[in-house]
Amino acid sequence: MTGTSVAPRERGASYQWSARAFGLPAVLVVAVLLYLPFVWTSVISFTEYNGLGSPEWVGLANYREMFDDPNFLTSLRNTLLWVVGTITIPVGLGLLIAVMTYDMRFGVWFRLPFLITYAVSPVAVGVVWSFVLQNGGGLSQVLEAFGLPGAENRWLLDEPMNTLVMIGAWAWQQTGVNALLFVIGLQSIPKEPLEAAKMDGAAGWRLFRHMLWPMLRPLTTVVVGLALVASLKTFDIVMAMTEGGPGRSSETLALTMYREAFVNSAYGMGSAVALFLSVVTFIAAITYLRRQLSPRHEW
Amino acid sequence: MSRVIRPVVLTILGVIWLAPLYLLLVNAAKPAAEYASDAVWRPIAEFALVDNIVDAWERAGLGEAVLSTVIYSIAGPAVAVLIGAAIGYAIVALRLKHGFFWFVLVFGGTVFPLQMIILPLFVGYAEVGLFDTRLGMIAVYAAISVPFSALVMRNFLGGIAHQVFEAAVMDGATTWRIFWRIYLPMSRSALVAVFILQATFVWNDLLLGLALSQSGDVRPLMTALTSMQSTYGGSQLPTVLAGGLLVSLPTVVLFLSTQRFFTRGLNLGQF
Repeated sequence: MTGTSVAPRERGASYQWSARAFGLPAVLVVAVLLYLPFVWTSVISFTEYNGLGSPEWVGLANYREMFDDPNFLTSLRNTLLWVVGTITIPVGLGLLIAVMTYDMRFGVWFRLPFLITYAVSPVAVGVVWSFVLQNGGGLSQVLEAFGLPGAENRWLLDEPMNTLVMIGAWAWQQTGVNALLFVIGLQSIPKEPLEAAKMDGAAGWRLFRHMLWPMLRPLTTVVVGLALVASLKTFDIVMAMTEGGPGRSSETLALTMYREAFVNSAYGMGSAVALFLSVVTFIAAITYLRRQLSPRHEW
Repeated sequence: MSRVIRPVVLTILGVIWLAPLYLLLVNAAKPAAEYASDAVWRPIAEFALVDNIVDAWERAGLGEAVLSTVIYSIAGPAVAVLIGAAIGYAIVALRLKHGFFWFVLVFGGTVFPLQMIILPLFVGYAEVGLFDTRLGMIAVYAAISVPFSALVMRNFLGGIAHQVFEAAVMDGATTWRIFWRIYLPMSRSALVAVFILQATFVWNDLLLGLALSQSGDVRPLMTALTSMQSTYGGSQLPTVLAGGLLVSLPTVVLFLSTQRFFTRGLNLGQF
């Protein structure tokens, strides 16, 4: 709320009714369609409810049941795999591609394949990769043709293989945007210190380790943070590729929530999973930010 | 040394990245009779891409889902950028009291995952007759786009000098007129950036479509595509792939043609 000139208080006050009118739609929409549902879900998570009759208060029973359910624990493990996989593979590859192309002739063209796949819709990524990963499908045929092992893998049917290959498919989609963000970051690094370091003979790994990486740090924090939060909510690609199956072996927490609420009509349990997911996301985001912003932390 | 290594590494990675796209294109263009699951790498002999797309459009019902989704991804974000610009204007130009509090409240709507809201929306929509209606879908798409839009618009409008507002007041313009004729036109680039980002999000949405719609003419595109994928298989796979190709074309074209806008939008989102 800074302006170059400050209007006298009385004059500013005369626009308050107008200001409220302009602000109201946003507050109203967000309150009714986002906050109210949020509160509802939080409350329902402590009840047993299937949409008929009225919710019955059961305290923490849903949460206890949740942690006793081996399927939920599998889902939790898969979600963790997704988090680790997405903050390492697509971010790492994106950084690698950015560092290799940002100051290169035709760098734009070398980045193009990754940008095209980024623009493919997540569900369509699922369609493409379900096809590539069929038993004996595209991937298996390549492995066989080159005499490599693994052609007999049932990529999407065996656990935890199915989650791992789906993370690979997701990396295929996500690498491009990370590369793009890192390129923007690298190109905005001031030229003079960089030239000076190069004059001193810094190149390759040393240049990266001591110049580029420290200067990219704020951007890396954002990129990893976004990947962390998004990966906890992984839904589309798994829904499109395995629907969480076979059985429930490749479910993530977001899919477990969907199944409990919309397939089993267990609204209380679905809400409990949703609240659990929110709390985990929130804690992860806060912990990560505090760690990154604390001055003592170096990596 | 690195002069050789870089292009080689990049070319290898690029080929790996393009290979699945090759498979998509080639097999989406094969006639059902020619398609063989053990020879997916074989180039096409007969070009049937158009037939397959028509098939996906008509028989699998992607056509009516495309229409709905075009409506959603225009109307939802359009409403959201206007609402976001309005609150930005209220805070920045009209100096809304406790403006920062209201801003944080609105932006806070983006903090929790969609999983927290879909179930009550489903229940509530069913109660008030919005379940499985286009109006209901537009409302929810607009709502989830409002927080981000408010963030960007508040930041952007904050860059316009307050004298602009004061001068317009001197000329006797009403606050509504100043918003509509001065502030909105001045923020065109931010409005477009937010609109493109949110339209892409709506276009790609699967979860809200699954939760809040059902019938063929309301269901959005991605929801229709997943159900097509689970019902079609075997020799009909080229049709499914043609569907996957069809839904991606708009986002690929939009992204590649607006890349600069898009990255600027991503930058804006980081404040």
